[in-house]
Amino acid sequence: MKKKLRKSLALMCAGALIAATITACGGSSNDSAKSTTQEGTTTIEMAWWGNQTRNERTQEVLELFSETDSSIAVNSQFFQWDDYWSKMSTLAAGKKLPDIIQMDHSYIATYVEKDQLLDLTPYIESGAIDTSNISDTIMEMAEIDNGAYGIAAGISSPGLFYNKTVLDELGITMKDNCTMEEFIKIAKEVYEKTGYTANIISSAHGVDSDIWSRTHDLQITEKKLPASDSTEYTAYFELLKSGIEEGWHMSPEYITDSASVEQSPLVYGSSPETMIWCTVNGSSMLTAYQSAAPEGVELGLTTVPSDDPSKSNYLKASMYFSISANCENVDEAVKVLNYLINSEEAYEILLAERGIPASTVIAESITPLLNESEQKVVYYINDVVAENCSPLGPADPDGSSEVTDLLNKLEEKVGYGEYTPKQAADEYFTEGNRIYEEKQ
Amino acid sequence: MKKRSKLYLFLNKESSAGVVFSMPFIIGFLAFLIVPMGLSLYYSFCDYDILSPATFVGLKNYINLFTNDQTFYNSMKATFIFVIASVPLRLVFALIVAMLLLKSTKLTGFYRAIYYLPSIIGGSVAVAVLWKRMFAVDGVVNMLLKSFGFAGDIAWLNNTKTAIWTLIILAIWQFGSSMLIFLSALKQIPTELYEAADVDGANSVSRFFRITLPLLTPTIFFNLVMQIINGFLAFTQSLIITQGKPMDTTLFYAVNMYQQAFGFNKAGYASAMAWIMLLLIGFITLILFKTKRFWVFEQE
Amino acid sequence: MRRKKRNIKIIYHVLVMGFGIIMIYPLIWMFASSFKESDTIFTTAQNLIPENFTLENYINGWTGFAGNSFKSFFQNSLFISIVATIGTLLSSACVAYGFSRCKFKGKKILFGAMLVSMMLPGQILMVPQYLWYQKLGWVGSYAPLIIPFCFAIQGFFVYLMVNFINGLPRDLDEAAKIDGCSYYTIFTKIIFPLMKPALITGTIFSFMWRWDDFMSALLYLNEPAKYTASLALKLFSDPGSSSDYGAMFAMAILSLVPIVIIFIVFQKYLVEGIATSGLKG
Repeated sequence: MKKKLRKSLALMCAGALIAATITACGGSSNDSAKSTTQEGTTTIEMAWWGNQTRNERTQEVLELFSETDSSIAVNSQFFQWDDYWSKMSTLAAGKKLPDIIQMDHSYIATYVEKDQLLDLTPYIESGAIDTSNISDTIMEMAEIDNGAYGIAAGISSPGLFYNKTVLDELGITMKDNCTMEEFIKIAKEVYEKTGYTANIISSAHGVDSDIWSRTHDLQITEKKLPASDSTEYTAYFELLKSGIEEGWHMSPEYITDSASVEQSPLVYGSSPETMIWCTVNGSSMLTAYQSAAPEGVELGLTTVPSDDPSKSNYLKASMYFSISANCENVDEAVKVLNYLINSEEAYEILLAERGIPASTVIAESITPLLNESEQKVVYYINDVVAENCSPLGPADPDGSSEVTDLLNKLEEKVGYGEYTPKQAADEYFTEGNRIYEEKQ
Repeated sequence: MKKRSKLYLFLNKESSAGVVFSMPFIIGFLAFLIVPMGLSLYYSFCDYDILSPATFVGLKNYINLFTNDQTFYNSMKATFIFVIASVPLRLVFALIVAMLLLKSTKLTGFYRAIYYLPSIIGGSVAVAVLWKRMFAVDGVVNMLLKSFGFAGDIAWLNNTKTAIWTLIILAIWQFGSSMLIFLSALKQIPTELYEAADVDGANSVSRFFRITLPLLTPTIFFNLVMQIINGFLAFTQSLIITQGKPMDTTLFYAVNMYQQAFGFNKAGYASAMAWIMLLLIGFITLILFKTKRFWVFEQE
Repeated sequence: MRRKKRNIKIIYHVLVMGFGIIMIYPLIWMFASSFKESDTIFTTAQNLIPENFTLENYINGWTGFAGNSFKSFFQNSLFISIVATIGTLLSSACVAYGFSRCKFKGKKILFGAMLVSMMLPGQILMVPQYLWYQKLGWVGSYAPLIIPFCFAIQGFFVYLMVNFINGLPRDLDEAAKIDGCSYYTIFTKIIFPLMKPALITGTIFSFMWRWDDFMSALLYLNEPAKYTASLALKLFSDPGSSSDYGAMFAMAILSLVPIVIIFIVFQKYLVEGIATSGLKG
């Protein structure tokens, strides 16, 4: 009896294994057949990063597109930010990037340099991608080496997110285009009266140093640090050091900001000693911060303090849509891309989830449909920043991710008192240049 | 005597049978491991940014790692501290709890599940969120310390001395997997030996040190080797809980390597790091195997 | 005398239970949080009991992403984990028997190769392995997530079983050989049936590791419909937008269920082995 049981068990296992192998291999051959044509349908692959909301809305829009043009079907993949970039790199290594990919300002230059993205200029000029409603400033954002390598999927700008409720209670108003001096005065008052600290330098989100660099003409435009010597960076680290010593700036020894909005000490904590009253992040994050904030707390959005706001403020593409260089069905991909940029019915679904739409016509048509936070962002972008800003400048050159990581580590060292501002500035200057040199 | 074919005789030789039984691994190794491993070794001698083909540069990566990279040493140090602190403690807890839960009663099944549960949720984002919450300045751990009369103000995750301990404690908390292996091995110890010892009048302490422990040494060795290898390759917890902060004190070697490859597009450099780690772990494992005859009981 | 024994028992249970609760407190927290409104999880982190008990996280989480509910994610994970586990156990048992009971040339090298293959950080193999599987045409299918494991490439299981088989008395083999059994029959009729504890331990570990492996799913699966639960769980938290921790916790709790069931069911069979059941007689 036992023997029979064991034999049948063994046979079942063997059967399962064979079935699995067949399914597995069969799966792959099915996919390769699908990628070209299937009864006259072309399949386009698209990938993006995002959360549940973005995934759902984008998928809905892609299905809507297939209804308008039944000869094109779009297969989508989506992941969260970190996984997305690991996967894209790996796919790029095998020359199998999806036809349409979501791109970020910090990666686009690298991908272009390594010939992974398609120059869209011919399609823009022929009108296949209609950019008539997108301003030149925005189109220039994805211009690298005289080629257009992406279309902005949304517009955003760095902003200072602050706890308006706390400031209201103290009778302080945060005005737009605040200078650093004015800001420090406010920060000191808030700290003395409530214990909340500010986060204006410790970058969990990587935007803070941009503002400071632009104000002091130290923006990185090529593979080299623009300063002539390290002393030009000392002031930055000194600002951090004095802020922590005087108490009004968040001290990394006690609390740190988090990349995850829900765990940011701006909205999460049990007492002012462990919380901050302001932080710097991209404007599209307002909805996320506001929903994560405790009941009764209202958040405000204004420009990031700097000595020269018109120089430091800038608009940027929150993300781009790009077409990969190994795309085989470019005309079809272009059609999808055009739809994603210009279709009003698409944006009734997408709304401002990726930022304010690049097409001014679309942006206007959806504004009444947006929620309160998103409308605040629209106001911020159009009426505050756009009125008083300078151009974005070239995309981060290859090597910038390592240089940014270096900067973060040096900020930490200064914050913990391990380095003096001068030491940090020296190391940033020497190491930063060395990193860029290796990438020449 | 039945006449046996040459093939039959050949296949039934001890050496041939050994090879036949090892075939799955031989095939697997050749089909799935050797090419990727070989490629990664090749990359370690190249500049490779993943997005474009690799270019050979000889020993440059290895030299730079040892002479020019403070982060390399920091991550090595953090990983060593992690292994030295967490592995022995994990094994000790695993053994103690396995002994306590040896009897297979209805309740022990439930208990075993409770102690095993933590190791199941291993590398999930949920655990990361939880752990950060628990070790926050106003978190449970500090509350517990306060209730026992200690100072409850430690910023665990921000303090350069304590941050690594949050990860060490996480690893120890997940001792359930080692416990399972000990449980299974403890069950294999012949009860006759214990009975004989009882007849001789042994108490439970000498039973443990004279019978259980010696017979358990092969499993302890196995667990030790596995935990050390896993310890040096630890990755997820550091990546999602502390991201290496503060100041690289929690930057595990594998996280540093991953950052170099995918964050900075220096996959060649990262491959060199990987192979250095392989040599290091291999060396330590080799030493361990050499010490085997001194303390591991072999049943021959 | 009897009272002393009962007191020891009580202390035992109190200690084990008490320590156990401390051990799973984080999980209890996660479980409780999954019933809180997502926005309030962190602001009410101190209190375990939800103010407004809600099932919305389970509902929201279950709907999954872009039309793919967690039903398909769990199904996919189950399929992969079960098949890969069966494959791992069978192949590892074979190889372990060979290493433990047979002397052959190159055994040391092979065993060494097996150990060494465990020492290379997996992350570095992501790109080379992808390129290799791309050559094989396996990208986009479940093949890379299942087939390699059917060839004993995870040294952990082989070594686990080698350890175990080493502990089985050789007299059994000798007796069988005298009776005219070949190595193959000894394996199938004697050793393998006795390997239950090792197979059970192996089942629990292999299932769990396959279930939790999201890296392979990330690299090789191109359609959300094929995603596994472990990969899908990560989609709840994207740092560039708002994360739904409530839904993530809810689905993470559900994701634990299969593994816990497997553990509870199988650990019952961790019985005393051959050497203790007096079969030798």
